[in-house]
Amino acid sequence: MSSVASGTNSSEELGVNMAGSEVDNNHLIEPHSYDDAIVKQFAAATLLWALFATLAGLAIAHLLVIPKMFGGVETLSFGRLRPLHSSVAIYAFLANGIFAAIYYSTQRLCGVKNWSWLLSRLHFWLWQFIIIAAIFNFPEGLTQARSQADLLQPIYLAILFVWTSCFAVNFFMTLRTRKVKKLYVSLWFYAATIVSFPLLLAANSIALPVSWVKSYPFLAGAQDMIVQWCYGRSAIYYLLLMPFLGMMYFFVPLVSGKRLSSYRLAKIHFWALVVLLLWSGTASLHYTAIPEWISSVGMLAGLLLWMPLWGGLLNGWRTLRGGAVNFGSSIAYRFFMVALLFYGISTLEASVLSIKSVSAMTQYTDWTIAHLHSGMMGWNGMLAFGILYWLMPRLFKVEIWSERGASLHFWISLMGVLLSVVPLYISGIIQSTMWGSMDELGNLMYPDFFEAISASRIMWWIRIMGGMLYVIGLVLMVANFAMTWVNRSSACEVGSEVPVNPSEAESEIESPGTLDHAPVLDAARALERWSKLHWHQRWESTITPFFVIPILLVLVVSLVLVLPNIIFKSAVPQIASVKPYSPLELLGRDIYRTEGCFNCHSQMVRPMVAETKRYGDFSRAGEFVFDFPAFWGKRRIGPDLAREGGNKQTSIWHWRHFEDPTAFVDGSVMPSYSHLLDAKIDFDEVAQQVKTARLLGVVYEEEMDVYLQSARDQAERVAADIVSSGGTIRRGEVMTLESKAVALIAYLQRLGTDLSAPVTADSKDDSAETAMKDDPVTLTEYAATSLNK
Amino acid sequence: MSRTEKDQATDHVTQSKDDPTPKWWKWIFTMTLAFSPPYLFWYHCGAEGRTLSEKYDIALAANLKLQFGAIGELSLTRENVVKYLYEESWLKVGGSIFKANCVSCHGAEGGGLGGPNLCDDNYKNIKDIGDILRVLQNGANGGAMPPWQAKLSPNEIVLVASYVASLRGSNPSVAKPAEGRKIPAWPKQPAEEDELTEVTDE
Repeated sequence: MSSVASGTNSSEELGVNMAGSEVDNNHLIEPHSYDDAIVKQFAAATLLWALFATLAGLAIAHLLVIPKMFGGVETLSFGRLRPLHSSVAIYAFLANGIFAAIYYSTQRLCGVKNWSWLLSRLHFWLWQFIIIAAIFNFPEGLTQARSQADLLQPIYLAILFVWTSCFAVNFFMTLRTRKVKKLYVSLWFYAATIVSFPLLLAANSIALPVSWVKSYPFLAGAQDMIVQWCYGRSAIYYLLLMPFLGMMYFFVPLVSGKRLSSYRLAKIHFWALVVLLLWSGTASLHYTAIPEWISSVGMLAGLLLWMPLWGGLLNGWRTLRGGAVNFGSSIAYRFFMVALLFYGISTLEASVLSIKSVSAMTQYTDWTIAHLHSGMMGWNGMLAFGILYWLMPRLFKVEIWSERGASLHFWISLMGVLLSVVPLYISGIIQSTMWGSMDELGNLMYPDFFEAISASRIMWWIRIMGGMLYVIGLVLMVANFAMTWVNRSSACEVGSEVPVNPSEAESEIESPGTLDHAPVLDAARALERWSKLHWHQRWESTITPFFVIPILLVLVVSLVLVLPNIIFKSAVPQIASVKPYSPLELLGRDIYRTEGCFNCHSQMVRPMVAETKRYGDFSRAGEFVFDFPAFWGKRRIGPDLAREGGNKQTSIWHWRHFEDPTAFVDGSVMPSYSHLLDAKIDFDEVAQQVKTARLLGVVYEEEMDVYLQSARDQAERVAADIVSSGGTIRRGEVMTLESKAVALIAYLQRLGTDLSAPVTADSKDDSAETAMKDDPVTLTEYAATSLNK
Repeated sequence: MSRTEKDQATDHVTQSKDDPTPKWWKWIFTMTLAFSPPYLFWYHCGAEGRTLSEKYDIALAANLKLQFGAIGELSLTRENVVKYLYEESWLKVGGSIFKANCVSCHGAEGGGLGGPNLCDDNYKNIKDIGDILRVLQNGANGGAMPPWQAKLSPNEIVLVASYVASLRGSNPSVAKPAEGRKIPAWPKQPAEEDELTEVTDE
């Protein structure tokens, strides 16, 4: 049989040889072909969605420097399109790439065709349908608006359904019917992802649905944040890390023509990743209002992950380099090399960023965005492109249409990634420095928030150029793919034949250890065996450990990190003066969510002097107990709003500011929200909002009519305030007192005011730990404490 | 890694290839492992002064000392406003408070946006320099100018009042037309201890 060293031309054999195994000779294998048509479909979808995702990214990058680019159309605002861009990038571009590579490599590694033709087709078409449905949601402002759940709940459920019933079943059944006994490294990574991802996503999607397009998490504020960063964030981390490592382990040896550098290291770092990954989610919540021990666990897990993450880098790098294939001779080699470099950089960065004091500097700045983009464009994107270039001639049984085009794509996209992320790292540093610097007298050096935004603009322009290059590179690739398809040989319709005898491997399990011939104790031999990880070889012949252990990990993390915060009330110390939102404020909150304000404004003042000097007292967990969900945010393009209430800005200021923000704030990149001034509040929604809040455990004990009236009264008060300060009574058809902006202003004026509000007579009697359910607030009290400020 | 003939013959037994894992990999991994328990113990053993909010309190106290150690706790008096109007370094402090809190209504240079122009000689609610303190503390114009006494410390109110007073006569690039009445110039820098009327402390 041929060896791996023979090069890259007999991929099917190679894929199997790498796995090495015993053949199940009891079965007579009939000649048939691998199902490569599904790989082609997913490959094409990957490229088309990549183009879509990057174009959307390019559009919103423009909105940061030219806020009025789309003429202020509300459906095309940054707040609504930002989650569209990231969702399409993850669930359409990268997920399709994962599916293409997994369907291709699993068949080879198992020596068997996909288990079900139908399931894989259903998987493909349903998945694309889900994405298209998601795309139509965002411009309409339909989003869950949770930090780690932008998509609507039904979309997540659909993703879960397709993933488990089509993809997972097909994958595991293919594994069960495999002809190659030993499971190669790639399959471990695939299996762990296919099991863990839906579990984490499901846990993150638990919410109270009130309609097809609206759902609210059962937990409020800090508790919901912990759920999201433990489950939702880990789901995405899993998806962008583990299958790509599996793909790397399959394709890098094929491209380099070398065997995997260290099987042993692969075992160690795989299990280290499985065990550690889920603990690191909360490393992004340092200094926020979560219990401090959870943030410490996140930080330590992040640090511990450094070497396990670099295990993949070491193995990939040493397998790729030093063989007959080099940078000049293979397109895929180039992409893989750059992908591995970006992998190394961004995983090191992830570990460093999990350190509390580092995170304190980078949190809420462009650094986060740069980190994500270097990971996704550099590591995930470049790896996917490399794999697709390697697959093209093998799928279509014809030379790539243009080698030069592919080479050009490589250089253009490399420049594109660098120009996209380096400016954002720089603007991240600029923002961090300008927002955090204090002069020798202990004052903020740059008290005006927008000085940093103005200083970042040049970087945002350069980054647009980077994005453009990346898109141009992709266009080249799409053209190359399409033309290769046009020129395809008729042989490609048949697909590659499954080798009758996939491999002639002998099992390594019984191989003699060095001590076997020495007269030593059995225990010593057992230890030697254990330390050489030989026990693992037994595992590699069965699916169970790769199925069960990831599930166990999700359970353990739930028990240790998540559940204590739900069960013990001390996790979120209650604050007696914090009261439920008024009905009008609930409506305003809904507008805040629809418009995606949280994409640019955080609501979390951290306990740092530079922050409290700028925004006011730091945020406490107890302040968010009525926030379903809380809008803590991830980035500050505008100032933090956690202490915006209490007439910090007057209502007329807000009113005029919504109309034309740039006229009021030098350096602001906020678009005009005049459509809120022109739209009417739907007061009928009050009932729905209050009912939902009641279902979530917030006490509103008056009759519904009272709340309806209260909403109208409060709107009238806010409007009266605006009109008496020189605002208009009506704009066109819409009276000021019924405009949506009034509801939003009511919400903004409430933000962060409860902490210093006087405790009402009623709640003074209660102890500090009073749960919200035991602490009823009547409307009259409510009005007395919060509306008259 | 160059490979021998023998290697190639047993290629399919992938386990046979195990390049040694570099020492630094093992060492760094071990170090991160060793670092974790002491870290957890140090910050979560319950000793005082190690939680984030305690550290914040210490940092805040240090900052206040740095900022106001030289001047102590100022009382809200007209004479203090006049005094710091002529102390350049403290005007900078007031300027920074102004930039953080006031520019969205009064403009970056005090020329006025929603709120009135502070650079001209006309004032709406102020007849004397001490009135600035009163407006800052209690607000004015039916809440259009919000009260600041709960949000700023007395020192900050005095210094920002001095800064606002210092804006008079400057030329902002954007200026709102004059509102209110023209009032007499601010008092000159006191030679030593002049007779100064006190504004009632609220």
